[in-house]
Amino acid sequence: MHILLIEDDVEAAKFLVKGLRESGYAVDHAAAGREGLERALAGKFDLIVTDRMLPKIDGLEIIRQLRTAGLAVPVLVLSALGSVDDRIRGLKAGGDDYLTKPFAFDELLARIEALLRRHARAGEPSRLQVADLEFDLLSRRVTRAGREIDLTVREQKLLEFLMRRTGQVVTRMMLLEGVWDLHFDPQSNVVDVHISRLRQAVDRGSDRPLIHTVRGAGYVLREEP
Amino acid sequence: MRWLRPRGLFQTTAFRMSMGYTLLVTLAVGVTLGTTYLLTQRILRDNIDLIINTELNSLQDQYVLRGIRGVSAEINVRIDSWGRIGSVYMLVSPSFKRIAGNVTNWPFDGAPRERWPEFRIESIEPGQRSVHPVRAAVRHLPNGDWLLVGTDMSQDERYAQAFQTATLWGMGLSILVAAIAGFAFSFRLSRRVGAVTDTCVRIMSGDLARRLPVAGSHDEFDALAVSVNRVLDRLEEQTRTLRATFDSVAHDLRAPLQRLRTRMDAVLRLPDLQPLVREPVESALREVDRLQRTLATLLQIALAESGAPLASVSAVNLSDLVGELAELFEPVARERGLRLSAQMQPALQVEGNRQLLAQLISNLVENALKFVPAGGRIELGVQRHGARVRLTVSDNGPGMAPEQRRQAGQPFVRVGAQGSGSGGGLGLLLVGAIARLHRAEFVLEDNQPGVRALVDLPLIEAGV
Repeated sequence: MHILLIEDDVEAAKFLVKGLRESGYAVDHAAAGREGLERALAGKFDLIVTDRMLPKIDGLEIIRQLRTAGLAVPVLVLSALGSVDDRIRGLKAGGDDYLTKPFAFDELLARIEALLRRHARAGEPSRLQVADLEFDLLSRRVTRAGREIDLTVREQKLLEFLMRRTGQVVTRMMLLEGVWDLHFDPQSNVVDVHISRLRQAVDRGSDRPLIHTVRGAGYVLREEP
Repeated sequence: MRWLRPRGLFQTTAFRMSMGYTLLVTLAVGVTLGTTYLLTQRILRDNIDLIINTELNSLQDQYVLRGIRGVSAEINVRIDSWGRIGSVYMLVSPSFKRIAGNVTNWPFDGAPRERWPEFRIESIEPGQRSVHPVRAAVRHLPNGDWLLVGTDMSQDERYAQAFQTATLWGMGLSILVAAIAGFAFSFRLSRRVGAVTDTCVRIMSGDLARRLPVAGSHDEFDALAVSVNRVLDRLEEQTRTLRATFDSVAHDLRAPLQRLRTRMDAVLRLPDLQPLVREPVESALREVDRLQRTLATLLQIALAESGAPLASVSAVNLSDLVGELAELFEPVARERGLRLSAQMQPALQVEGNRQLLAQLISNLVENALKFVPAGGRIELGVQRHGARVRLTVSDNGPGMAPEQRRQAGQPFVRVGAQGSGSGGGLGLLLVGAIARLHRAEFVLEDNQPGVRALVDLPLIEAGV
């Protein structure tokens, strides 16, 4: 997977590039908007991560030009602005995700992975299955080893979000955004409490738990050997 | 500040003005026609009186010249030649017995008291009977006889009636014309004023690029539109500058924090990291997180208090939003031994930014979560109060000092100077800032015991 990082803060970029390479990605770095745009237009990247505020050609302009050129490559916008409106403007301009600085590296990593997988995913399944956990999206029935699990509407949404990203680390912020449509960070551990309730319902009594905590990052739903 | 809009044409100033105008026109027409009528009648009457007097004088001259016989003869002559045009003559003895004339009976009881007595007589003409009003004068002749000369007033009465009809029609028509003109005028006026109001509402909702239409007719509305547009140009310019300043401040504060975080993250990713290093770095990272959260709150307060209007506004179903957030926080509350419940009247909508409103509600709930001890209650409510929606978050915790409660709703600049810097304090300051941004009122009340937070937002009617 080949990522282009457009970031004028060379110091920050150095660490991001290093971290991403260690995580197994090939990374190119462009320190200016024009250079970034030219390389992005060449079209050999699977994902573009761009800063919102760049001198001369800024992040949103880059997205606009990419979309005008017909390139559908996913773009993740990093922004040090981060008022409510900026996020909406960023997504309106054609960005696929938006992350406010300062962010944890794990947050960035989880979102990059989500964007890359989302792009690879094809079709709309009518049924999700992980090990013996099944979710029929049409009848909204959830079963574990054939036994029906009773969940609230929100718990179902939460489970669906996790199951659609099986094996993928999902951060608390991603859950708040994706399940509750909230784009700010509550001080209390709301997400953890909801996950622990979901866990109670899904994993209790099973010797093979599916919902796992990833230290410092978030959660992952997967079948572990 | 609330947007009051006239409900219909009847509430507009233009309509009221045109109604007043109609009334005035009606009054003016009435007074003019009435005065004309009175003056005309007076002139006509004076004319009649002059004729009567002349007749009396000439008959009296006859009396002086030819005595009572002469008068009688003259009267008979006049009746024959003049009778048909409506003159009345009568000569009676001192005991009011008829001597001559075209009236059968003396119409008064003795001598009349008025100078110009009026009475009615019946006339018998071939084929029809009719009653005629008569205006007359009476003279006492030196020999004790009484002489009466009068004029048929039917003509005059018909004239008065015609005039009355004309007056009523005239007034009716002028009311109609004035009302139609007034309606047209007020419709035009309220359309132009309505355009101004609509534009202002849109601008307040964040569409800063919008301008008032200038019709090009160089009237006072155009002058108004041009001045308002000039103010809007300045407002837009100032907002742009403000945002640019805000953005660069935010950038300058966040970028170094980002570098700090990235480096610490890099350290934590090092292989075989000793707990001796890992633990202090992790703890420092938590501090960075706290700092970052405080900074985000401060930036949001600053932006909200800057007066720059919201850029993304939509109709938000506050009832649903509160329901969702109650559901989000309920398990957290339960985990802390608190009971959290919510009661909403359905589908109450407000205009605003969903994210900011969600943050406002979350901050109030988290504030309660922080201070209410186990066993306590937190209640959320959304209720309609006239044209407002009232959001309440009440608890039965230890409450706040009155001074603290009062300060919580104040703009940041005033409280900030006194150094109310704790996390909870900032949370409530953000609530106040978001409330002001939504033209809402935010107060904290004593819930006896506990705190009751009230946020009154302008309601928008469903379907608008």
